[in-house]
Amino acid sequence: MSDPLLSVENLKTQFFTEDGTVRAVDGISFDVHEGEIVGLVGESGAGKSVATSSLLRLVDSPGEIVGGEVTFKGRTLFGLEEDANGDLRPRDDMLSEEEMRREIRGREIAIIFQDPMESLNPVFTVGGQLREFIELNRDLSEEEAKREAIDMLREVGIPAPETRYDEYPHQFSGGMRQRVLIAMALACQPDLIIADEPTTALDVTVEGQILAMVEELQRKYDTSFVWVTHDMSVVAEICDRVNVMYLGEIIEHATVDDLFYDTKHPYTRALLDSMPRPDETVHELNPIRGVMPEAIDPPSGCRFHPRCPDGREVCREVHPEPRDLAEAGEPTHRAACVKYDAFDVGYDESRPLEADVTGGFDAGLTETGGDE
Amino acid sequence: MGLLRYTLWRFAQSIPVLIGIITITFFLANQIPGDPVEIMLGPSPAQEQVEAIQARYGLDRPAHERYLTYLAGVATGDLGWSIYYDRPVLEMILLRLPVTMYLTVSAFAFAIVTAIPLGVLSAKRRNEPADHVSRVVSLVGVSTPSFWIGLMLIIVFAFHLGWFPARGLPLPWASPADVRGASTQVEVVRTSLYHLAMPMVALGTLQMAQITRIERSSMVDSLQGEYVKLARAYGVPESTIVRKHAFQVAQLPVITIVGLGLSTALGGAVLTETVFEIQGMGRLIITAINNQDYELIMGTTFMFGVAFVVGVIITDIAYAYIDPRVTYGDEA
Repeated sequence: MSDPLLSVENLKTQFFTEDGTVRAVDGISFDVHEGEIVGLVGESGAGKSVATSSLLRLVDSPGEIVGGEVTFKGRTLFGLEEDANGDLRPRDDMLSEEEMRREIRGREIAIIFQDPMESLNPVFTVGGQLREFIELNRDLSEEEAKREAIDMLREVGIPAPETRYDEYPHQFSGGMRQRVLIAMALACQPDLIIADEPTTALDVTVEGQILAMVEELQRKYDTSFVWVTHDMSVVAEICDRVNVMYLGEIIEHATVDDLFYDTKHPYTRALLDSMPRPDETVHELNPIRGVMPEAIDPPSGCRFHPRCPDGREVCREVHPEPRDLAEAGEPTHRAACVKYDAFDVGYDESRPLEADVTGGFDAGLTETGGDE
Repeated sequence: MGLLRYTLWRFAQSIPVLIGIITITFFLANQIPGDPVEIMLGPSPAQEQVEAIQARYGLDRPAHERYLTYLAGVATGDLGWSIYYDRPVLEMILLRLPVTMYLTVSAFAFAIVTAIPLGVLSAKRRNEPADHVSRVVSLVGVSTPSFWIGLMLIIVFAFHLGWFPARGLPLPWASPADVRGASTQVEVVRTSLYHLAMPMVALGTLQMAQITRIERSSMVDSLQGEYVKLARAYGVPESTIVRKHAFQVAQLPVITIVGLGLSTALGGAVLTETVFEIQGMGRLIITAINNQDYELIMGTTFMFGVAFVVGVIITDIAYAYIDPRVTYGDEA
């Protein structure tokens, strides 16, 4: 396979708060090839949004990217090296803030945010905002950019785009605003679009329409996507490959078929069991027990072990890095779970963990139950 | 509804408010113990004299009758007769109003011109030294009364340094013959600006401080908005984000404060005019009250009421102009 378009190696982003350091993204690696839609899945708080802002170096203080490497089309978006004193400093080939702004953001990598209601500026016309970004990122004149903006609004299915161009965001519905944000991303003709839960705020029918539209436009423009979501059904619908995140780490990576039909990691399994599937009939959904711990003080060993149905003593001590578990000749399927032979840390001999989920939903329910 | 119709409609809506102001002022003024005739004639006047004067100014008629006469007069543009000055009230107001307008508008211009950059800078450099300085300055400004600032300015800049004159405020368009030490119009303007400097700062400081505070907090909010994040993600330069994307949204609460501040400033003008011995509306209303000049009290209060109403209407119009979500009432 050719070189990936985007490659992320061991990326770490931390937030330095008064309560301590939050390791929101803790060493994730993944890549995106040309024309691919790569999913980034996980519960709320897994670090998905921080990960995507880190790619564009848009993490706000007190957050900071503290390690790892991000390469895009051979250019270093982020990379550190050690100087003579052993301190970390940006590498010489890392793009400056100005280069990021001028050459990468919008122009090469565009982003679609999750909240269509808040993302558009309420005091400017929709068309004006679209035109501004097109002008900036494609070096077009004002008239050309306006023409392009109207064409793109039509492309994303906004009726009467010439009239709508001069209207304000509050005159658009949520679904229409999301279409505008998608038009914005596509109109800048980037090679990669990061979609950060773009359909989460919308109802299911609108979500369906938008996903269908994105798939069609993706084929037409051959743009690559990083698609962030917590919704496995969205993953099934549009992704080619999927990365599952838990507490700042990627714990499983596979093609979409392998992920659904040959699930390796117990967390992914639990995620899939917790939602309805059209291809399986179940009487009851299985929520994942407990809640995700804070990233400020992650559990030792495997971070999922306190909630894991397959947890054993060894899981508390050994922190697994994802390893490729695929058979020779099959596409890569990485998972970070010591129950597989590839890890060989004595899982089979280890005793199962006592099920003690502290502070989770179950515990809360039992306590209130006692009052009745 | 168009902007013009909207404006006219808002003025029409304010008529009941103005009638209310007149009514309350009329009956309150009549409740003040003592009466103007007593003040005019001094202690123990002759009965005939009192009656003659009462008849001359219509004070012998019952209050409700005088009230209706007065209301009818206001409707036709006649604000009554000032007993103290022995001239029509409207004439006195037209003489004094320009001075107060000149002072208030200048104070506001001073406040806005200094406060907005200061507030924006403060928000942009949040929790850095520049922000701390600006916050301390605005806190002190909000908590210091304008007359005290006026007195301090006089002590330092007029008395000790002698840079600025401490008394009076000639209008820049006054004729050179009426202004001492000026022989040409250019000199009149210069003298006027010299006189303006200190009262303008005294009156404008409170407004400046308030606007700075609201501008800062509003910009801080706006700079954290999702639309700012979006603009950054599309490579918009930071200066454009501050000047355009964040700024325009942030002005909405500022407009409210400026509009309402207009009426506070008129109240402040009363004190400032007293400190600097400026012959404006503030001094006029004080003279009126001290001499129980009924119709002058009502006339001046009415003018303050009108100024307040105009301030509110200007605020509304500015709001509708800058925020597309506010309509002129046809989509409600």
